[in-house]
Amino acid sequence: MYAKNFDETVTIDTIIKMTSPIIAIDKELCTGCGRCLEICPVEAIAGKPNTPHEVDTAVCILCGQCVQICSGYDAPDETFPTSRAERLEQRGMLPTVQEPLFAAHYRGDIHRVIEALQTPDMFTIVQCAPAVRVAIGEEFGMPYGALTPGKLSAALHALGFDRVYDTNFAADVTIMEEGAELIKRIQENGTLPMFTSCCPGWVKYLEDQHDDLLEHLSSCKSPQQMAGTLFKTYGAKIDQIDPARIFSVAVMPCTCKKFECERPEMNASGYQDVDLVITTRELAQLIKHAGIDFPALSDEDFDNPLGCYTGAGNIFGTTGGVMEAALRSACEMLTGTPLPDLELEYVRGDEGIRKAAIVHEGVALKVAIVAGLQHIDSVLEQIRSGEADFHFLEVMCCPLGCVSGGGQPKVLLPNQCLEAHIGRKSGLYAHDRSLAVRKSHDNPQVKKLYQDFLGEPLGHEAHHLLHTDHSHNRNLV
Amino acid sequence: MNAFIIGDAELCIGCQACMIACARAHEQLPTAALNERETPFHSRVTVVNVPEVTVPVQCRQCEDAPCARSCPVEGIVQNNSHIEVVKEKCIGCKSCVLACPFGAIKVVEDTIVCSRIFMSASADTPQNRIEKPPFVVEKCDLCADCGTPACIDICPARALQLVDPDAMQQKVENRRKQNANRIRQYRSQLM
Repeated sequence: MYAKNFDETVTIDTIIKMTSPIIAIDKELCTGCGRCLEICPVEAIAGKPNTPHEVDTAVCILCGQCVQICSGYDAPDETFPTSRAERLEQRGMLPTVQEPLFAAHYRGDIHRVIEALQTPDMFTIVQCAPAVRVAIGEEFGMPYGALTPGKLSAALHALGFDRVYDTNFAADVTIMEEGAELIKRIQENGTLPMFTSCCPGWVKYLEDQHDDLLEHLSSCKSPQQMAGTLFKTYGAKIDQIDPARIFSVAVMPCTCKKFECERPEMNASGYQDVDLVITTRELAQLIKHAGIDFPALSDEDFDNPLGCYTGAGNIFGTTGGVMEAALRSACEMLTGTPLPDLELEYVRGDEGIRKAAIVHEGVALKVAIVAGLQHIDSVLEQIRSGEADFHFLEVMCCPLGCVSGGGQPKVLLPNQCLEAHIGRKSGLYAHDRSLAVRKSHDNPQVKKLYQDFLGEPLGHEAHHLLHTDHSHNRNLV
Repeated sequence: MNAFIIGDAELCIGCQACMIACARAHEQLPTAALNERETPFHSRVTVVNVPEVTVPVQCRQCEDAPCARSCPVEGIVQNNSHIEVVKEKCIGCKSCVLACPFGAIKVVEDTIVCSRIFMSASADTPQNRIEKPPFVVEKCDLCADCGTPACIDICPARALQLVDPDAMQQKVENRRKQNANRIRQYRSQLM
């Protein structure tokens, strides 16, 4: 799809990436039951009943919900043309992985992490999305939603990463930029409603199918990409290292983040901003491969300064979280008065479409939230027809946001999915409540970042590093 | 009379969710550090997926069960309304596997029992021993210990049903009534 952009810099690595799709269905294991076809929010899967199904990679938004629902697997008492060892290798998985292999799967990238960790000259930095810390415990027999940020950080240190930073820090930065952008659009009669741009599947969907509405999309990069850019610029400066030596890994609950980090325009640092994305499951497999006893680990902190985060950054991992974090800051920025209560129950919930109106110190804001991309089209129609009266729209492709992402631990029995997703979501909110700082603009390290390096939100440097022109990106395709 | 579970080939979509639910319902996690995906995935129901038909196949809980008859150690017994394998007695002879007319019995590695030690055929000293995982047989037990059979519960196509004596009686009575009506309706052709 982005072949043109690779023309000047084609390497074997990029060719491999382009020929190995991120989401695919294994013909040998697919029984053609059609459940993936039903769950796919963009109708990217096709196939006749009882025959192997296929993913249309041009339409697919890489959300990985098919991976989560698939129940066609390599049953131990059946034989398949491809051996298990070969299948693991084909999928880029570690040979020590014990779990059954399902037909719908994603491209594994764990070998490249191991390679980077073993390269002496490489300075390895890792970031973790909020939803990872409330799900990875499940891979080690812990209950749904077990909150383990300390063990997660300890495991990443034990694996040998030089810096264990956090996507949550960049989520706080995202609020600074996105909040400022929303206020600017409201005050200067810009395009409204403004859309969140953290979910890469949502961004791809807009580009693919509704490019007339790209003006609505916030120009902010996602927290993952902001983090990646800052690690190779500000982070490199702090540690006084050559950014060329940095290998930046992101651990994500999402399969589409693999696509996002490979987008050719994501190179504001002068390098590929995020070198590699692995999923929550892939990290769990690596931790087991390394023989680390995750549940027994003692808690460790994320590294300063780019691992410092607030409760607001942490709730990005669930539907309504970005909205809540943005409101906590935007209402205060607009009026100078903080919100009286930080628990914004009116934007929380699990319905596919939610709307709310906020009145604070004379400022009235209307917002809408979509969870699950299958619900989006009616909202987009309202916007086109001018019926939409809200200022800000948050969209997440997956049913309850990132906690239910395609890269999260697979819930084997679909009737337990809701319990798992709600458990993870509650874990995120509990973590938010327990943190001393709960508003992104109060994050001391974010303040320092602006003071020492970025200047103002939406300022020249911030614009160059943290924003992207979505409509321009589209024209390149 | 025994109850049994049967699949509907018209409704089955072949997703294998029943197999996963079955494996999970019968699995005890050996250690807390493992996730539920990592224990061996033994299912007592098998979805037959061939071009002509897609349907789960499992034990019919036969009244005069050939598997129980063939077992030399009385390891397959009647337990309430189903036929049960007593794992502790099973010697892994596989007679029942061959005797079962439905192919519903599987030989599996028992994760709960520790491995057994045997003399190696090539051994000439007592030190030369080999470790063997314990294999036992497994088959559908109607989830007798845990309420509703897990396969029935999970099936997204509602293609599995539990046929217990009451349900069977009901079915048979309904069929008789239907037939009685038919006899009345087509009286002239029949008499």
